[in-house]
Amino acid sequence: MSEAPMIEVRELNAGYGRFHILFDVSLEVEPREIFIIVGPNGSGKSTLLKTLFGLTKVYSGSVKLEGRDITRIPPHARAKLGMAYLPQVGNVFAELTVAENLKMAGYTLEASELEERIRDVLEVFPFLKQKLNAKAKTLSGGQRQLLAMAMALIREPKVFMFDEPTAGLAPKAAKEIIDKMLWLRKEKGKTIVLVEQNAKLALEIGDRAILLVSGRVAYRGKASELLADKELGKKYLGLKG
Amino acid sequence: MSILPSLPYTLDALAYASAIGLLSMGLSLTYATTKVPNFAQASIAMFGAVTLLLLIDRYYYYHPGWSVFLAGVVLGGLVTGAVAWLVYVTVLKPLADRGNTVIGLMIATFALDIIFVNVLTAYLDEAHGVHIPKLIGASITSFEPRLHIGDYIVYGYTIALPITAVVLTVIFHLFLTRTKFGVAMRATIENPDLASVLGVNVNLVYMVSWFLSGFLAGAAGALMAYTLKGVDPSAAELIIVTVFAGSIVGGLESVYWGLIGGFIVGLAEKLGMTLLNNFYRDYFVLKWHAPNVSLLNYEKFMSLGLVVVMLLYAPRGLAGIDWGAVARRLGLRRGGGGR
Amino acid sequence: MSVWIFSDAFLITLFSFITVAISLNLEAGFTGIPNFGKHVFVFVGAFAAQGIGVRIAAWIYEKVEPQAAQQALEHLRSMVPGATWKSLVGAAADVDANRIVVNNYLRPFFVSHVGLEALLVVLLLVVTVALALFFGLIASYAALRLKEDYLAILLLSFAELMVMVLFYQSQSLNGGNQGLWAITFTSDPVKFALIGSGALAFISYLYAERLANSPMGRAMRAVRDDDVAASVFGRDIAVIRLKVILVSSVLAGLAGFFFIQNAALSTSMTFNRVIWTFLPWAMIILGGMANNLGAVVGAIVFLIGKRLFEYYQIPISNALHLGSSIVSALLPNIFIGIFIIVILYALPQGILPEKPSKTVKFEEILESEQGEEA
Ligand SMILES: Nc1ncnc2c1ncn2[C@@H]1O[C@H](COP(=O)(O)OP(=O)(O)OP(=O)(O)O)[C@@H](O)[C@H]1O
Ligand SMILES: [Mg+2]
Repeated sequence: MSEAPMIEVRELNAGYGRFHILFDVSLEVEPREIFIIVGPNGSGKSTLLKTLFGLTKVYSGSVKLEGRDITRIPPHARAKLGMAYLPQVGNVFAELTVAENLKMAGYTLEASELEERIRDVLEVFPFLKQKLNAKAKTLSGGQRQLLAMAMALIREPKVFMFDEPTAGLAPKAAKEIIDKMLWLRKEKGKTIVLVEQNAKLALEIGDRAILLVSGRVAYRGKASELLADKELGKKYLGLKG
Repeated sequence: MSILPSLPYTLDALAYASAIGLLSMGLSLTYATTKVPNFAQASIAMFGAVTLLLLIDRYYYYHPGWSVFLAGVVLGGLVTGAVAWLVYVTVLKPLADRGNTVIGLMIATFALDIIFVNVLTAYLDEAHGVHIPKLIGASITSFEPRLHIGDYIVYGYTIALPITAVVLTVIFHLFLTRTKFGVAMRATIENPDLASVLGVNVNLVYMVSWFLSGFLAGAAGALMAYTLKGVDPSAAELIIVTVFAGSIVGGLESVYWGLIGGFIVGLAEKLGMTLLNNFYRDYFVLKWHAPNVSLLNYEKFMSLGLVVVMLLYAPRGLAGIDWGAVARRLGLRRGGGGR
Repeated sequence: MSVWIFSDAFLITLFSFITVAISLNLEAGFTGIPNFGKHVFVFVGAFAAQGIGVRIAAWIYEKVEPQAAQQALEHLRSMVPGATWKSLVGAAADVDANRIVVNNYLRPFFVSHVGLEALLVVLLLVVTVALALFFGLIASYAALRLKEDYLAILLLSFAELMVMVLFYQSQSLNGGNQGLWAITFTSDPVKFALIGSGALAFISYLYAERLANSPMGRAMRAVRDDDVAASVFGRDIAVIRLKVILVSSVLAGLAGFFFIQNAALSTSMTFNRVIWTFLPWAMIILGGMANNLGAVVGAIVFLIGKRLFEYYQIPISNALHLGSSIVSALLPNIFIGIFIIVILYALPQGILPEKPSKTVKFEEILESEQGEEA
């Protein structure tokens, strides 16, 4: 038997309190793949990532990480199991300094290891060096997004889940982020789940993808095939035919 | 007669204000973390007062000394912290998990307040077999270290309370800024979801915040027994109004401003009202024959008044005021740019 | 036991609490206004019959029968040297003298002057309503501006200060910590209280039911459930909250007025936050928020349970080996506190959960609002 899927979601129904958002969502993310989630605004992409991380209410269904059922365990325990998540909004602590943000990002690491990792990410995002003692709320929107990315990279988890990491970034910075992801997968063997507004960009680098529409899976398959599907692309993703 | 209150009275007011400051600080802490306004904050503090009473009864009765304050603060704080921790773990968390709203949780703290006041009153009654406030009050105040400075007697608690407030605040500040868990607590206050996905056990942070809030309350409560001239748990019923006032003036979600808000409100009630009363007596009553009533009965209006002014002009409390802009307007600082 | 359960005093208490619970439910259950200062709104009715009512009654008595009044005063001076009518009915009153004034002079006078008595009843009801509206306006000023938890704190603080400072600490307005005798009516004030509080509870229920099922009722629930609607239709939301608070305040005040007709002597401490704020909250939580029948059921179940507990309190405290009488006197409050936490845990929706209602469109809310006003 081959290894278990990195993430396996079965018949998931979830939402916020009384607001049922996701309906019967199933998916499998294989190790070392880039898995893309696309869909119109409000279709439940962010909710799906939050649910994978235990931040919503699950009514039924299950989530497994490497074959282990994690549906009911709290978010901080998932972090310790090797998952990392970069939320779409509220992804840095505005009232903490940049240094404190980075320390928080490595909360589960040993002190010595943490220092090393912080040094590493500061090499990748050198502009942060000058800002270490500034509160995160004094950063520009793009800088904040980069800080959030840096925070996601500090631990070396098995699975990265990125919710629109390139939003608000200049094309050059966005490209760097995308390259970083490809590098993570290729050199480090990481698994990546990516939610992207820019469907074309995402589907081009992705292996497989799902299309969410109103909280249901409307397409599941190869990313390249979804990109090629004129009808779905036009209807839901604003891709030119 | 001088308008200014006497030195011992002023010191007593400062001590009272320090105690309220600590209580408001604890209240703001648990509000910031778990979003529950704790109506039992003042009655929880009474566990500290009762602990002090037992300490005196069992030990300091035979060995009076200044260490009573340290022992009261530490033991009172620990006992009360444990009670607050239990409150969160056994009542509030399960209720929240059952889907109760903020209102339900507030009612629960209201219920806890009633339970605590009555249980402690009953306990004191059982333990001592006397009717509580007067006798026990006497036993507290007569076992209190004091200094003689010139003509004045300076009571120990008027020194101990402000020092306790300063020391606890400094320790708390160091905890929040220098320790990993303290930073995690600040992070959780700002964004619990993000903190949890980074690996912070948010529930543990909440439990610790209740413990710390209880510690602050119990430490203040132990020494506050002296300013209240005895241990009467039902005194909590009025104190809570002042504590909330302090917290709201501070902005309700900011721990440090909660301390300052509580201190200001406490001072306003004691010193502010005395000044006002003396002024009224000297000018309106003596000169213009206004009705001779004592305004001191109305000290709680000071706290309500401050709250109303605050909610009208700065709804987010002292914490929400842009102090830089205020300083510039007052000409204390030049330049127009933001921070 | 049946006699004991359905004693007049118990029924009057029950009816008064039913009214207060219904009125609190209109605010808290239907509209989401967490009134933690309910006790002051009940207190205004009592104050109308005590501090205000006795003064007005004495003033009328002096005007109508100056000679009798003068004689009465001389008689009273043997008890309270240097007494004047002013000192006897209000400030720092000697409770005994105050009782004699009210029960031996004022009440008989009004009982024998039915016209004047009716006039005084109406007048004091008007005073109650006016006071309730005044306090309600103050509360709504806050309710329109504050988030629910801030609002709850502010209302509690406001009520505590009003009851405890203005009326309790001050000797002059409502007899201070000695209390005052209320002016009571008819030759059988208990019956008067019973009929009055019973009729009030009945009318409150009918009114609240009609309101809850009207478009206005649906609008109230929309206000409670939807902050977005609250921000979009800001002005109309304000009108709804204001109306609900004013109506509820009046109901609570009237309940206090009839309640005091039986409780006659009381200090403003009778109207403390445990009894007239916490208990009504306990009742609506037990019965089910946003359900009028729930408020009634909650009040009945709760008060009967409380009575039974008090009845068996001695055996219970003996069984628990609690020695002193003070301790067993404290027991009911402790159990009520525990009870309500258990209810919040076991039955967060109460005995009778809120009836599911159709969701309304905001246009409908607006229309209904205009309809109400027209
Ligand atoms: N905290 C919340 N409580 C209730 N409903 C929510 C909450 N957050 C989101 N929703 C609702 O859930 C639905 C899905 O939202 P979600 O954020 O998952 O969409 P999305 O696909 O990520 O959209 P976008 O592309 O704009 O980021 C929306 O209808 C939204 O209104
Ligand atoms: Mg999203």
